[in-house]
Amino acid sequence: MVPDYNENEGERETVSLKTANRSLAVVSPLLPDSTSGLRAWFYLVWLSWRRQARSQQMVWIAVGLLLFSVSLVAIFTARGAWSMRYWRWPYRQGPTYMQWADEVQMLASLPDASAEGQGVQAALAASVRGIILYSGFPIFSHWIVFLLFLSFLVPLFNLSFATEALGGERESNSLIWLLSRPLPRPAIYLAKFAALLPWTIGLTLGGFVLLCLVGGQSGLLALRLYWPSVLAATLAFSSLFYFMGATFRRPAVAAIVYAFFLEVIFGNMPGYLKRISIGFYARCMMFDAAGDFGVQPERPEIFLPVDGATALAVLLGLTVLLLGIGTVAFSRAQYHEVV
Amino acid sequence: MPDLLDSPDSGRGDRPLTAISVSRDPKGSAPPALPFGSRLTEEAAALPLLLCQRVSKWYGPVIGVNQVTLELRSGITGLVGSNGAGKSTLMRLITGQLRPDLGSIEIRGHDAWSTSARRHVGYCPELDSFYEEMSGRQFVEAMARLYGYPRREALDRAAFALERVGMAGRAERRVRGYSKGMRQRIKLAQALLHDPELMVLDEPLSGIDPVGRDEFVRLFGDLASMGKCLLISSHELEELEKLTDHLAIMAHGRIAAVGTVAQIRDRLDNHPLLIRIDVKRSSPGENDSENDERRRLAAGLLKLNDVVGVELLDARPEDAVDPVLVRARNPQRFFQELTRLVLEEWYEIARLETLDDSTSAVLGYLLSGRSA
Repeated sequence: MVPDYNENEGERETVSLKTANRSLAVVSPLLPDSTSGLRAWFYLVWLSWRRQARSQQMVWIAVGLLLFSVSLVAIFTARGAWSMRYWRWPYRQGPTYMQWADEVQMLASLPDASAEGQGVQAALAASVRGIILYSGFPIFSHWIVFLLFLSFLVPLFNLSFATEALGGERESNSLIWLLSRPLPRPAIYLAKFAALLPWTIGLTLGGFVLLCLVGGQSGLLALRLYWPSVLAATLAFSSLFYFMGATFRRPAVAAIVYAFFLEVIFGNMPGYLKRISIGFYARCMMFDAAGDFGVQPERPEIFLPVDGATALAVLLGLTVLLLGIGTVAFSRAQYHEVV
Repeated sequence: MPDLLDSPDSGRGDRPLTAISVSRDPKGSAPPALPFGSRLTEEAAALPLLLCQRVSKWYGPVIGVNQVTLELRSGITGLVGSNGAGKSTLMRLITGQLRPDLGSIEIRGHDAWSTSARRHVGYCPELDSFYEEMSGRQFVEAMARLYGYPRREALDRAAFALERVGMAGRAERRVRGYSKGMRQRIKLAQALLHDPELMVLDEPLSGIDPVGRDEFVRLFGDLASMGKCLLISSHELEELEKLTDHLAIMAHGRIAAVGTVAQIRDRLDNHPLLIRIDVKRSSPGENDSENDERRRLAAGLLKLNDVVGVELLDARPEDAVDPVLVRARNPQRFFQELTRLVLEEWYEIARLETLDDSTSAVLGYLLSGRSA
């Protein structure tokens, strides 16, 4: 509805609308100051959280891969694949490990064996059975947690949301609406990060819970031991990819290059170079948590792990550091393409 | 090359150009607008609303804004210039989206980059991007809440702003379905929300139909009469002349001229304009003074009242033209007389070029605009 202005010169200062019984007093500056920076900040968190819910291609890809992985794990669990029971020695040709255990057991029950010999055979057979029985957790940890989840899904889940938080606003040119409000730039940066976390934590931890639940007993044990590492890695990856969103013009590309090339290359370097990768510290936390269950680096003298507490401190410190650097960078940035 | 306003009264030399906009309130009694959510002290009110001092901004090797000095207090100021003249860059600097590489910009004494300065400014950007998934009302309401208003007040302000821009009845539709004109109205509505003292409107009339333009022109007039200061950019002089007679013409990153259209025309008249005329050579390679077309043209030009001087430039033998350099005042009249002279004597003009870029730009606008 178009406002109808009173063209009468004498009444011009009190512009009124015929269409609504309102006057300029509605927006009169003479009203007491009812604005609040804190209220604006919380609203920005809420608004950003809501806007992150918009379906984005990367998120759908991540969710699709998660569902695919969950289905795969469910199939493996149903087939009892999280165990050395069906492994063979010699490789692919000989009897399974369980058959070896049975044969050792049979040897122990031979009538002409000595009592000592039978005792040793029985102990050996029991040990082999015990190892086979509890081999599920290390196998699940190695294949599902370390190789699939930590190396691939965690970075993907995080980058799909974190690069979009600011990067998406930049690409769609809508960042101008935040930058033209009287909100301090550091507050904008932190608000959007706060809005991002429920999504990245939800998707990463939620995905991990799902994978573990369909992983049977091994999965449940992995969930109990590894969730703090997953959470710490999520915080670090989120802050890194979010920072990339504020810095790079094509943040998703930069984040993919980092997650699937640099992380892999650095994470597998011998010596101390791997310590610049986020995945290394997450794995260290996991090794520390699951050491009693036989989960450890294949070659500790090359992997050179740090203890769990140090790894946690590094991941949390990195999160804070990246947030600080990002806040400063965003506060000084002039986004030529968005303004 | 001298600038258009390099005249004695402009006082350029070492002193930068200054545009001072004064209130055009018809009654002259409108109270000064107060900033968003606060009361101005007398001291603050005495400060210029906008003060740009020798502001320069580069985009790599390209200069976007060059040594601009501008002071605004109230009323409507039109910022006109061709695409790439630096209007939008200047507006981005004023609204704190960009930082000047040199010079300073202050809004009521606050650095334009600061949060406190943005409280005084309502910005309607040229960019056509929104939160497309929202309705017009949701978008404007969200913008109000980002100012920190309580929900109820944000709703009221959004409703009022939407009514002011004529979008109250169409605000429930999603922004992505809006026409260009409706999107412009939404952009304007969000700029009005906090009742800012200074409104920076980048091409606000672009994409608006004629009826809508009239509504906007009236709205801008009303805001100015309330003591608001509006800086409105456009690349169409005619459009801005309907709104204000106070113009700043930008060319090549500089403010080439400031004042009313009439003032600018007067200054232009007194400012000798440098024009190069290439006359087609009748017999290529010959330089016979008897038949030299340009000498005849030069003689004819010198008889014109507005011509200050004529110079024959060296012609290269391989060129088929002879260049003449003319210095003339009152360009509008000069070009009329030149046209008459050329038609009467049948000179073959291969090229006509104004050598002063800024003056050329100003002239282009003034000649294409309505007569003052």
